[in-house]
Amino acid sequence: MSAAKTSRALKELLFDQFFQQLPFNVAIIDRDYNIVQANNSFREYFGEWEGKKCYAVYKKQDHPCSRCQSLQIFEDGKTRVIDSVVVDKNGQWSHHVVQSAPLMLSDKGHVDYIIEISSIVTDTAQWQQEFNILFDRVPCYVTVINEDFRIVRANEAFRESFGDVLGKYCYEVYKRRKSKCPRCPAAKTFKDGKMHHSEHTGIGKAGQNIEYAVTTSPLDRGRDKVAHVIEISNDVTRLKKLEKEVLEAERLAAVGQTVAGLAHSIKNILMGLEGGKYMIGLGLKKDDRSLIDRGSEMLDRNFDKTTTLVKDFLSFSKGRLPKLRMVNPNDLVMEIVDLYKDIAAKSGIELKADLKPNMARAPLDPDAIHTCLTNLVSNAIDACLMGEQKGSEVVIATRDEKGILTIQVTDNGTGMDYEIKKKIFTTFFTTKGGEGTGLGLLTTRKLVQEHGGKIIVESKKGEGSRFIMEFPRKRLGMLHEETEEE
Amino acid sequence: MAKPEDKTILIVDDEDDVRSYLEVALLEAGFKVRTARDGFEALEAVKEQIPDLISLDLVMPRKSGVKFYRDLITDKAWAKIPIIIVTGHARDDLGKADLKELTMSGPGIYIEKPVKPERYVAAIKEILGLDSTKEEQNMANQLKLQNELKDMIDGADPDMLKKIKAALNSKNPRS
Repeated sequence: MSAAKTSRALKELLFDQFFQQLPFNVAIIDRDYNIVQANNSFREYFGEWEGKKCYAVYKKQDHPCSRCQSLQIFEDGKTRVIDSVVVDKNGQWSHHVVQSAPLMLSDKGHVDYIIEISSIVTDTAQWQQEFNILFDRVPCYVTVINEDFRIVRANEAFRESFGDVLGKYCYEVYKRRKSKCPRCPAAKTFKDGKMHHSEHTGIGKAGQNIEYAVTTSPLDRGRDKVAHVIEISNDVTRLKKLEKEVLEAERLAAVGQTVAGLAHSIKNILMGLEGGKYMIGLGLKKDDRSLIDRGSEMLDRNFDKTTTLVKDFLSFSKGRLPKLRMVNPNDLVMEIVDLYKDIAAKSGIELKADLKPNMARAPLDPDAIHTCLTNLVSNAIDACLMGEQKGSEVVIATRDEKGILTIQVTDNGTGMDYEIKKKIFTTFFTTKGGEGTGLGLLTTRKLVQEHGGKIIVESKKGEGSRFIMEFPRKRLGMLHEETEEE
Repeated sequence: MAKPEDKTILIVDDEDDVRSYLEVALLEAGFKVRTARDGFEALEAVKEQIPDLISLDLVMPRKSGVKFYRDLITDKAWAKIPIIIVTGHARDDLGKADLKELTMSGPGIYIEKPVKPERYVAAIKEILGLDSTKEEQNMANQLKLQNELKDMIDGADPDMLKKIKAALNSKNPRS
């Protein structure tokens, strides 16, 4: 056999055996989109191809694809890798990676055909695509930052709010700072490989304030060193605004209740004055000295009540925002215990403190808390005296759980039934006859509400009462920032 | 015709001054008077001797006016005792519901603190059907009308209030 013959036989063999048996779909296409040759795998996958255009076979359509990349190979002769969605012989679409290369019959640089080798990548591509959609479309900010605190990826939501950010420092983007933020959760994650959470105020691309709650987690799972951290943040600007509004509304409600209470208190005093006036008038008419005396005493008492009321009321209406300072709540409690221990002991009542150890400091108005505790302790002592039982005690306890600081005053005194419990905060209600102005608990509630907190009462007739002042630390923080601004 | 001297009034109020004021006013008008400081004492007093009328405060410690009233109507004889409510809480959250319960099902008349002695006496005389001066009658009628108006206003929606206002304006060209 001649060398040429051998060579041709080899070529035929190559074509028959190798080309036909290749485990990919291979097709050769000319300038006019005609498929001139294809292998078994191609036929199996796409169906009959002979005499058909590539777009009819690949896509089952009757016109060339709008952005045909293969066509460009005829122009520039460069190999390409193309992502493409194709339709198989059963009409099922799938994702393929297509390697497209020029075939030249001569060495004049003229491309006569192109050869396309495609393989299915549907699963991987689908995952990739799904991930991209998820990454971009989740309704929160997602960024990936590297050890230098540079942003290497950012999703659509983030780009919309903060602009084009790739490669920039995260602190520059989030807050327009020149250095790392204090309380940086990402720094903690780089250090310990754990998730961290915190809330911050950022600056958007239009200069607007953006309140966000961010969670950071390591992107490199199971490795010793964290090289990337993913930051997922929620825009809580509106939520924060609502929270502030609720706080404000509660404070206003307290004012409204107070005014209603004032009206009632004045009515009671007027009733006493009316009575005194009537008795004096009647006494004069009947020349009854004792009636005049009773009337005049009545007037005296009710004038005194007015004075007390006005005084209490002035202190009650003082200061809309609490004057917050960072203090240890336990210290405030101990002050009260020291102050009233002896007085309580004289009545046979033990005043005790039950403090949470290592209590963190909190922004509180020390004077206000002092007033609240004085009111509650004095009520508790009265309740014990009314209960007339032995072994009476009043306990002031502090707790700090789930972000809520609580200070509670518990007594084992007379307790309250439902009727009284319902009414203690509503107006100038007093069970102490002429002794009380009925302002103590109202003042206490107002002061607690001004701290963004609330006061809860638990009581059972004959068993005692517990007044719980709850201060959410988050709200205290908000108020603190607010009062510092002013 | 019966006379005040034949009638015993039970005054229930937790405020010492209010109690002695109302007591003097009723004694002056000729009534016999007994007093109680809360619902418990009042119930004891009723057990002892059924009064002809009870003057009742609403908000009191230990046993409130409405609680006392609920106990009172469990006894057939007691349930017939007429009651006049003297309260400072007619229009606040504290007394409104209680007052409604009382006026809906029972006594039906209330006076808001502060109380003028003449008006108080006139209202009681009216309820008991006692002989009264023309002035006292006028006052009692006025109180009744006031009560009715207050109830209407309390129960009215804003549209109704506008209508009332319009009606008043048209009848009263001075305003």
